[in-house]
Amino acid sequence: MSDRNARWGDLLSRALAGDGVAYATFLTETSEVIRRVVRARSPGGAEDIEDIVQEVLLAVHTKRHTWRRGEPVSPWLWAITRYKTTDAFRRRKWRATLPIEDFAEILPEIGAGDITAPRDLERLLGGIDARSARIVRAVGLDGESAGDVGARLGMSEGAVRVAYHRAMTRLKQLAEMDGTE
Amino acid sequence: MKTDDLIRTLAAEPATPAGLSVDARALLGTVGGLILTLALFVTALGPRPGLWQAWADPLVLAKSVLPLVLGLLALALALRAVRPGRAAGAPGRAIAVVPVAAAGLFLFAFATAAPGTRMALFLGHSIPVCLPAIVILSLPVLAGLLSALKRGAPVRPAFAGALAGLAAGGLAATVYSTFCTEDSPLFYAVWYALGITLAALAGALAGRRLLAW
Repeated sequence: MSDRNARWGDLLSRALAGDGVAYATFLTETSEVIRRVVRARSPGGAEDIEDIVQEVLLAVHTKRHTWRRGEPVSPWLWAITRYKTTDAFRRRKWRATLPIEDFAEILPEIGAGDITAPRDLERLLGGIDARSARIVRAVGLDGESAGDVGARLGMSEGAVRVAYHRAMTRLKQLAEMDGTE
Repeated sequence: MKTDDLIRTLAAEPATPAGLSVDARALLGTVGGLILTLALFVTALGPRPGLWQAWADPLVLAKSVLPLVLGLLALALALRAVRPGRAAGAPGRAIAVVPVAAAGLFLFAFATAAPGTRMALFLGHSIPVCLPAIVILSLPVLAGLLSALKRGAPVRPAFAGALAGLAAGGLAATVYSTFCTEDSPLFYAVWYALGITLAALAGALAGRRLLAW
Protein backbone atom coordinates (compact mmCIF):
# COMPACT_ATOMS: atom_id res chain seq x y z
CA MET A 1 0.00 0.00 0.00
CA SER A 2 2.67 2.49 1.00
CA ASP A 3 4.78 1.25 -1.91
CA ARG A 4 1.95 2.01 -4.25
CA ASN A 5 1.41 5.41 -2.65
CA ALA A 6 5.07 6.22 -3.12
CA ARG A 7 5.01 5.04 -6.73
CA TRP A 8 1.81 6.91 -7.58
CA GLY A 9 3.02 9.98 -5.73
CA ASP A 10 6.21 9.95 -7.76
CA LEU A 11 4.35 9.46 -11.05
CA LEU A 12 1.80 12.15 -10.27
CA SER A 13 4.36 14.74 -9.21
CA ARG A 14 6.29 14.11 -12.41
CA ALA A 15 3.04 14.41 -14.34
CA LEU A 16 2.11 17.70 -12.71
CA ALA A 17 5.56 18.97 -13.66
CA GLY A 18 4.71 18.22 -17.29
CA ASP A 19 5.77 14.58 -17.84
CA GLY A 20 3.10 13.07 -20.11
CA VAL A 21 4.58 9.57 -20.04
CA ALA A 22 4.50 9.45 -16.24
CA TYR A 23 0.93 10.74 -16.35
CA ALA A 24 -0.19 8.07 -18.83
CA THR A 25 1.35 5.39 -16.58
CA PHE A 26 -0.34 6.90 -13.54
CA LEU A 27 -3.75 7.01 -15.23
CA THR A 28 -3.42 3.48 -16.61
CA GLU A 29 -2.41 1.99 -13.26
CA THR A 30 -5.04 3.86 -11.28
CA SER A 31 -7.75 3.14 -13.84
CA GLU A 32 -7.29 -0.58 -13.21
CA VAL A 33 -7.89 -0.12 -9.49
CA ILE A 34 -10.73 2.33 -10.08
CA ARG A 35 -12.36 -0.20 -12.40
CA ARG A 36 -12.20 -2.86 -9.69
CA VAL A 37 -13.77 -0.49 -7.16
CA VAL A 38 -16.53 0.60 -9.56
CA ARG A 39 -17.25 -3.00 -10.57
CA ALA A 40 -17.53 -4.03 -6.94
CA ARG A 41 -20.00 -1.25 -6.21
CA SER A 42 -21.96 -1.24 -9.42
CA PRO A 43 -25.08 -3.20 -10.28
CA GLY A 44 -24.76 -2.15 -13.93
CA GLY A 45 -23.33 -3.84 -16.99
CA ALA A 46 -19.81 -3.72 -18.39
CA GLU A 47 -20.49 -0.68 -20.55
CA ASP A 48 -21.89 1.25 -17.59
CA ILE A 49 -18.83 0.40 -15.53
CA GLU A 50 -16.47 1.64 -18.21
CA ASP A 51 -18.49 4.88 -18.50
CA ILE A 52 -18.17 5.46 -14.77
CA VAL A 53 -14.44 4.63 -14.77
CA GLN A 54 -14.03 7.29 -17.45
CA GLU A 55 -16.03 9.81 -15.44
CA VAL A 56 -13.74 9.19 -12.47
CA LEU A 57 -10.60 9.51 -14.60
CA LEU A 58 -11.89 12.76 -16.04
CA ALA A 59 -12.56 14.06 -12.51
CA VAL A 60 -9.07 13.02 -11.39
CA HIS A 61 -7.70 14.93 -14.36
CA THR A 62 -9.78 18.08 -13.83
CA LYS A 63 -8.99 18.19 -10.12
CA ARG A 64 -5.37 16.99 -10.26
CA HIS A 65 -4.20 20.31 -8.79
CA THR A 66 -5.97 19.48 -5.49
CA TRP A 67 -3.37 16.79 -4.73
CA ARG A 68 -0.25 18.06 -3.01
CA ARG A 69 3.23 16.70 -3.45
CA GLY A 70 4.26 14.59 -0.48
CA GLU A 71 0.74 13.59 0.51
CA PRO A 72 -0.42 9.99 -0.01
CA VAL A 73 -2.23 9.57 -3.33
CA SER A 74 -4.60 6.75 -2.31
CA PRO A 75 -6.91 8.64 0.12
CA TRP A 76 -7.16 11.44 -2.42
CA LEU A 77 -7.94 9.06 -5.23
CA TRP A 78 -10.49 7.05 -3.22
CA ALA A 79 -12.31 10.17 -2.11
CA ILE A 80 -12.68 11.29 -5.73
CA THR A 81 -13.68 7.79 -6.85
CA ARG A 82 -16.31 7.50 -4.12
CA TYR A 83 -17.73 10.94 -4.88
CA LYS A 84 -17.93 10.38 -8.61
CA THR A 85 -19.31 6.83 -8.47
CA THR A 86 -21.98 7.83 -5.96
CA ASP A 87 -22.91 10.69 -8.25
CA ALA A 88 -22.96 8.42 -11.31
CA PHE A 89 -25.15 5.80 -9.63
CA ARG A 90 -27.58 8.44 -8.46
CA ARG A 91 -27.87 9.87 -11.93
CA ARG A 92 -28.40 6.46 -13.50
CA LYS A 93 -31.13 5.56 -11.08
CA TRP A 94 -32.75 8.93 -11.63
CA ARG A 95 -32.70 8.41 -15.37
CA ALA A 96 -34.03 4.91 -15.07
CA THR A 97 -37.11 6.10 -13.19
CA LEU A 98 -38.05 8.74 -15.75
CA PRO A 99 -41.14 7.84 -17.76
CA ILE A 100 -40.46 6.60 -21.26
CA GLU A 101 -42.40 9.54 -22.73
CA ASP A 102 -39.51 11.79 -21.74
CA PHE A 103 -37.27 9.81 -24.05
CA ALA A 104 -39.68 9.96 -26.97
CA GLU A 105 -37.73 12.67 -28.76
CA ILE A 106 -34.27 11.29 -28.21
CA LEU A 107 -35.04 7.61 -28.62
CA PRO A 108 -34.24 6.60 -32.15
CA GLU A 109 -37.33 5.46 -33.97
CA ILE A 110 -37.62 1.72 -34.00
CA GLY A 111 -36.55 0.32 -37.31
CA ALA A 112 -35.59 3.71 -38.69
CA GLY A 113 -32.49 4.66 -40.61
CA ASP A 114 -29.69 2.34 -41.45
CA ILE A 115 -30.86 -0.58 -39.38
CA THR A 116 -34.10 -1.35 -41.21
CA ALA A 117 -32.93 -4.32 -43.20
CA PRO A 118 -33.43 -7.40 -41.02
CA ARG A 119 -30.28 -9.06 -42.26
CA ASP A 120 -28.24 -5.99 -41.35
CA LEU A 121 -29.97 -5.74 -38.02
CA GLU A 122 -29.12 -9.32 -37.12
CA ARG A 123 -25.51 -8.65 -37.98
CA LEU A 124 -25.49 -5.43 -35.93
CA LEU A 125 -27.14 -7.16 -32.98
CA GLY A 126 -24.23 -9.57 -33.03
CA GLY A 127 -22.00 -6.57 -32.29
CA ILE A 128 -23.59 -5.78 -28.91
CA ASP A 129 -23.78 -7.86 -25.77
CA ALA A 130 -26.26 -10.74 -25.68
CA ARG A 131 -28.57 -9.29 -23.04
CA SER A 132 -28.93 -5.96 -24.83
CA ALA A 133 -29.59 -7.82 -28.08
CA ARG A 134 -32.39 -9.80 -26.41
CA ILE A 135 -33.93 -6.60 -25.13
CA VAL A 136 -33.82 -4.95 -28.55
CA ARG A 137 -35.39 -8.03 -30.16
CA ALA A 138 -38.14 -8.26 -27.57
CA VAL A 139 -39.01 -4.57 -27.26
CA GLY A 140 -38.07 -3.24 -30.68
CA LEU A 141 -38.97 -6.11 -33.00
CA ASP A 142 -41.55 -8.22 -31.15
CA GLY A 143 -43.25 -5.19 -29.58
CA GLU A 144 -43.29 -6.53 -26.02
CA SER A 145 -43.66 -4.06 -23.18
CA ALA A 146 -40.62 -3.11 -21.14
CA GLY A 147 -42.38 -4.43 -18.03
CA ASP A 148 -42.88 -7.91 -19.53
CA VAL A 149 -39.31 -8.11 -20.77
CA GLY A 150 -38.04 -6.92 -17.41
CA ALA A 151 -40.03 -9.57 -15.59
CA ARG A 152 -38.53 -12.25 -17.79
CA LEU A 153 -34.96 -10.99 -17.44
CA GLY A 154 -35.21 -10.12 -13.76
CA MET A 155 -34.77 -6.38 -14.40
CA SER A 156 -36.89 -3.41 -13.46
CA GLU A 157 -38.98 -1.80 -16.17
CA GLY A 158 -36.86 1.36 -15.99
CA ALA A 159 -33.63 -0.61 -16.32
CA VAL A 160 -35.00 -2.31 -19.45
CA ARG A 161 -35.89 1.06 -20.99
CA VAL A 162 -32.45 2.46 -20.28
CA ALA A 163 -30.73 -0.69 -21.56
CA TYR A 164 -32.88 -0.48 -24.69
CA HIS A 165 -32.01 3.16 -25.21
CA ARG A 166 -28.31 2.47 -24.77
CA ALA A 167 -28.43 -0.50 -27.10
CA MET A 168 -30.19 1.57 -29.78
CA THR A 169 -27.54 4.27 -29.47
CA ARG A 170 -24.83 1.66 -29.80
CA LEU A 171 -26.56 0.06 -32.80
CA LYS A 172 -26.82 3.43 -34.48
CA GLN A 173 -23.10 3.95 -33.95
CA LEU A 174 -22.39 0.50 -35.38
CA ALA A 175 -24.60 1.24 -38.35
CA GLU A 176 -22.82 4.52 -38.96
CA MET A 177 -19.46 2.83 -38.75
CA ASP A 178 -20.70 0.29 -41.27
CA GLY A 179 -21.74 3.11 -43.55
CA THR A 180 -18.39 4.85 -43.46
CA GLU A 181 -16.37 1.74 -44.12
CA MET B 1 -14.74 6.27 -26.35
CA LYS B 2 -12.33 3.61 -25.17
CA THR B 3 -10.73 4.20 -21.79
CA ASP B 4 -7.25 3.84 -23.30
CA ASP B 5 -8.06 6.60 -25.76
CA LEU B 6 -9.31 8.80 -22.94
CA ILE B 7 -6.09 8.20 -21.00
CA ARG B 8 -4.05 9.08 -24.08
CA THR B 9 -6.01 12.32 -24.50
CA LEU B 10 -5.65 13.27 -20.84
CA ALA B 11 -1.96 12.36 -20.75
CA ALA B 12 -1.32 14.89 -23.49
CA GLU B 13 -2.04 17.54 -20.90
CA PRO B 14 -0.19 16.47 -17.75
CA ALA B 15 0.91 19.73 -16.13
CA THR B 16 -0.93 21.48 -13.31
CA PRO B 17 -3.43 23.90 -14.84
CA ALA B 18 -2.11 27.44 -14.87
CA GLY B 19 -3.39 30.03 -12.43
CA LEU B 20 -3.51 30.64 -8.72
CA SER B 21 -3.87 27.81 -6.22
CA VAL B 22 -7.16 27.22 -4.41
CA ASP B 23 -5.63 28.56 -1.19
CA ALA B 24 -4.45 31.77 -2.83
CA ARG B 25 -7.84 32.28 -4.45
CA ALA B 26 -9.60 31.67 -1.15
CA LEU B 27 -7.39 34.25 0.53
CA LEU B 28 -8.13 36.76 -2.21
CA GLY B 29 -11.86 35.95 -2.10
CA THR B 30 -11.96 36.37 1.68
CA VAL B 31 -10.01 39.62 1.71
CA GLY B 32 -12.00 41.00 -1.22
CA GLY B 33 -15.27 40.07 0.45
CA LEU B 34 -14.09 41.50 3.75
CA ILE B 35 -13.34 44.86 2.12
CA LEU B 36 -16.92 44.99 0.83
CA THR B 37 -18.21 43.90 4.25
CA LEU B 38 -16.22 46.67 5.95
CA ALA B 39 -17.50 49.22 3.44
CA LEU B 40 -21.08 48.12 4.13
CA PHE B 41 -20.42 48.21 7.87
CA VAL B 42 -18.89 51.68 7.90
CA THR B 43 -21.70 53.02 5.72
CA ALA B 44 -24.60 51.50 7.65
CA LEU B 45 -23.37 51.06 11.23
CA GLY B 46 -19.82 52.11 12.10
CA PRO B 47 -17.84 51.29 15.24
CA ARG B 48 -19.17 52.23 18.65
CA PRO B 49 -17.69 55.26 20.43
CA GLY B 50 -14.94 54.32 22.86
CA LEU B 51 -14.26 50.92 21.26
CA TRP B 52 -10.68 50.75 22.51
CA GLN B 53 -11.65 51.44 26.11
CA ALA B 54 -14.49 48.94 25.88
CA TRP B 55 -12.04 46.23 24.73
CA ALA B 56 -10.22 46.61 28.04
CA ASP B 57 -13.03 44.48 29.48
CA PRO B 58 -12.22 40.83 28.63
CA LEU B 59 -15.93 40.04 28.21
CA VAL B 60 -16.20 42.73 25.52
CA LEU B 61 -12.96 41.63 23.91
CA ALA B 62 -14.21 38.01 23.84
CA LYS B 63 -17.23 39.21 21.85
CA SER B 64 -14.83 40.14 19.03
CA VAL B 65 -12.11 37.51 19.50
CA LEU B 66 -14.31 34.40 19.71
CA PRO B 67 -16.01 34.88 16.33
CA LEU B 68 -12.66 35.86 14.81
CA VAL B 69 -11.05 32.61 16.01
CA LEU B 70 -14.09 30.69 14.81
CA GLY B 71 -13.96 32.35 11.40
CA LEU B 72 -10.26 31.70 10.86
CA LEU B 73 -10.49 28.06 11.95
CA ALA B 74 -13.54 27.53 9.72
CA LEU B 75 -11.59 29.05 6.85
CA ALA B 76 -8.77 26.57 7.40
CA LEU B 77 -11.31 23.74 7.57
CA ALA B 78 -13.06 24.88 4.40
CA LEU B 79 -9.74 24.77 2.56
CA ARG B 80 -9.21 21.22 3.77
CA ALA B 81 -12.76 20.24 2.83
CA VAL B 82 -12.11 21.04 -0.83
CA ARG B 83 -9.14 18.68 -1.00
CA PRO B 84 -10.29 15.06 -1.36
CA GLY B 85 -9.10 12.66 1.30
CA ARG B 86 -7.82 15.44 3.57
CA ALA B 87 -8.80 15.01 7.23
CA ALA B 88 -9.99 17.97 9.33
CA GLY B 89 -6.94 17.51 11.60
CA ALA B 90 -5.85 20.07 14.17
CA PRO B 91 -8.23 22.91 13.18
CA GLY B 92 -11.08 20.41 13.34
CA ARG B 93 -10.30 19.69 16.96
CA ALA B 94 -9.47 23.29 17.84
CA ILE B 95 -12.73 24.73 16.51
CA ALA B 96 -14.70 22.98 19.28
CA VAL B 97 -13.02 25.35 21.75
CA VAL B 98 -15.13 28.27 20.46
CA PRO B 99 -18.63 26.96 21.30
CA VAL B 100 -17.32 25.54 24.59
CA ALA B 101 -15.84 28.95 25.51
CA ALA B 102 -19.06 30.71 24.48
CA ALA B 103 -21.13 28.34 26.61
CA GLY B 104 -18.72 28.87 29.51
CA LEU B 105 -19.04 32.65 29.20
CA PHE B 106 -22.82 32.34 29.04
CA LEU B 107 -22.91 30.29 32.26
CA PHE B 108 -20.46 32.67 33.95
CA ALA B 109 -22.60 35.67 33.01
CA PHE B 110 -25.73 33.86 34.11
CA ALA B 111 -24.20 33.09 37.50
CA THR B 112 -22.83 36.59 38.07
CA ALA B 113 -25.86 38.59 36.87
CA ALA B 114 -28.47 39.63 39.39
CA PRO B 115 -31.48 37.30 38.94
CA GLY B 116 -33.80 40.18 38.00
CA THR B 117 -31.54 41.45 35.20
CA ARG B 118 -30.85 38.16 33.40
CA MET B 119 -33.82 38.23 31.08
CA ALA B 120 -33.21 41.87 30.10
CA LEU B 121 -29.52 41.13 29.37
CA PHE B 122 -30.44 38.03 27.36
CA LEU B 123 -32.99 39.82 25.17
CA GLY B 124 -30.99 43.06 24.95
CA HIS B 125 -32.34 45.77 22.68
CA SER B 126 -30.89 44.95 19.26
CA ILE B 127 -31.82 41.44 18.16
CA PRO B 128 -33.62 42.76 15.03
CA VAL B 129 -30.39 44.57 14.04
CA CYS B 130 -27.91 41.95 15.19
CA LEU B 131 -29.24 38.90 13.33
CA PRO B 132 -29.79 40.43 9.88
CA ALA B 133 -26.60 42.49 10.16
CA ILE B 134 -24.43 39.43 10.80
CA VAL B 135 -26.05 37.49 7.97
CA ILE B 136 -25.85 40.38 5.48
CA LEU B 137 -22.27 41.28 6.42
CA SER B 138 -21.30 37.64 5.91
CA LEU B 139 -22.58 37.48 2.32
CA PRO B 140 -19.69 39.26 0.53
CA VAL B 141 -17.13 37.03 2.23
CA LEU B 142 -19.25 33.96 1.56
CA ALA B 143 -19.53 34.84 -2.12
CA GLY B 144 -15.79 35.47 -2.46
CA LEU B 145 -14.96 32.28 -0.64
CA LEU B 146 -17.39 30.06 -2.55
CA SER B 147 -16.14 31.28 -5.91
CA ALA B 148 -12.61 30.33 -4.83
CA LEU B 149 -13.62 26.95 -3.40
CA LYS B 150 -15.27 26.01 -6.69
CA ARG B 151 -11.80 25.36 -8.02
CA GLY B 152 -11.23 22.80 -5.31
CA ALA B 153 -12.83 19.37 -5.18
CA PRO B 154 -15.20 19.12 -2.20
CA VAL B 155 -16.47 15.56 -1.88
CA ARG B 156 -19.17 16.92 0.45
CA PRO B 157 -20.27 20.15 -1.25
CA ALA B 158 -22.90 21.15 1.33
CA PHE B 159 -20.47 20.58 4.20
CA ALA B 160 -17.74 22.61 2.50
CA GLY B 161 -20.31 25.34 1.85
CA ALA B 162 -21.36 25.29 5.51
CA LEU B 163 -17.73 25.75 6.56
CA ALA B 164 -17.42 28.68 4.16
CA GLY B 165 -20.59 30.13 5.70
CA LEU B 166 -19.20 29.58 9.18
CA ALA B 167 -15.99 31.38 8.21
CA ALA B 168 -17.93 34.26 6.63
CA GLY B 169 -20.33 34.41 9.60
CA GLY B 170 -17.47 34.45 12.11
CA LEU B 171 -15.71 37.29 10.31
CA ALA B 172 -18.98 39.20 9.88
CA ALA B 173 -19.79 38.82 13.60
CA THR B 174 -16.29 40.10 14.44
CA VAL B 175 -16.92 43.20 12.34
CA TYR B 176 -20.40 43.66 13.77
CA SER B 177 -19.14 43.27 17.35
CA THR B 178 -17.28 46.59 17.05
CA PHE B 179 -20.66 48.35 16.61
CA CYS B 180 -22.68 46.37 19.12
CA THR B 181 -22.94 47.63 22.70
CA GLU B 182 -24.59 44.52 24.12
CA ASP B 183 -21.64 43.41 26.21
CA SER B 184 -23.14 40.53 28.18
CA PRO B 185 -22.40 36.98 27.05
CA LEU B 186 -26.07 36.34 27.92
CA PHE B 187 -26.74 38.28 24.74
CA TYR B 188 -23.88 37.66 22.37
CA ALA B 189 -23.19 34.00 23.15
CA VAL B 190 -26.75 33.29 21.97
CA TRP B 191 -27.61 35.78 19.26
CA TYR B 192 -24.21 35.98 17.59
CA ALA B 193 -24.17 32.20 17.56
CA LEU B 194 -27.58 32.20 15.90
CA GLY B 195 -26.50 34.75 13.28
CA ILE B 196 -23.35 32.77 12.50
CA THR B 197 -25.40 29.57 12.28
CA LEU B 198 -27.74 31.22 9.77
CA ALA B 199 -24.71 32.23 7.69
CA ALA B 200 -23.44 28.62 7.84
CA LEU B 201 -26.86 27.42 6.73
CA ALA B 202 -26.82 29.83 3.79
CA GLY B 203 -23.36 28.51 2.96
CA ALA B 204 -24.55 24.90 3.08
CA LEU B 205 -27.48 25.61 0.76
CA ALA B 206 -25.31 27.55 -1.66
CA GLY B 207 -22.51 24.98 -1.47
CA ARG B 208 -24.79 22.09 -2.32
CA ARG B 209 -25.57 23.74 -5.64
CA LEU B 210 -22.43 25.71 -6.40
CA LEU B 211 -19.70 23.40 -5.14
CA ALA B 212 -20.91 20.16 -6.71
CA TRP B 213 -18.67 19.07 -9.58
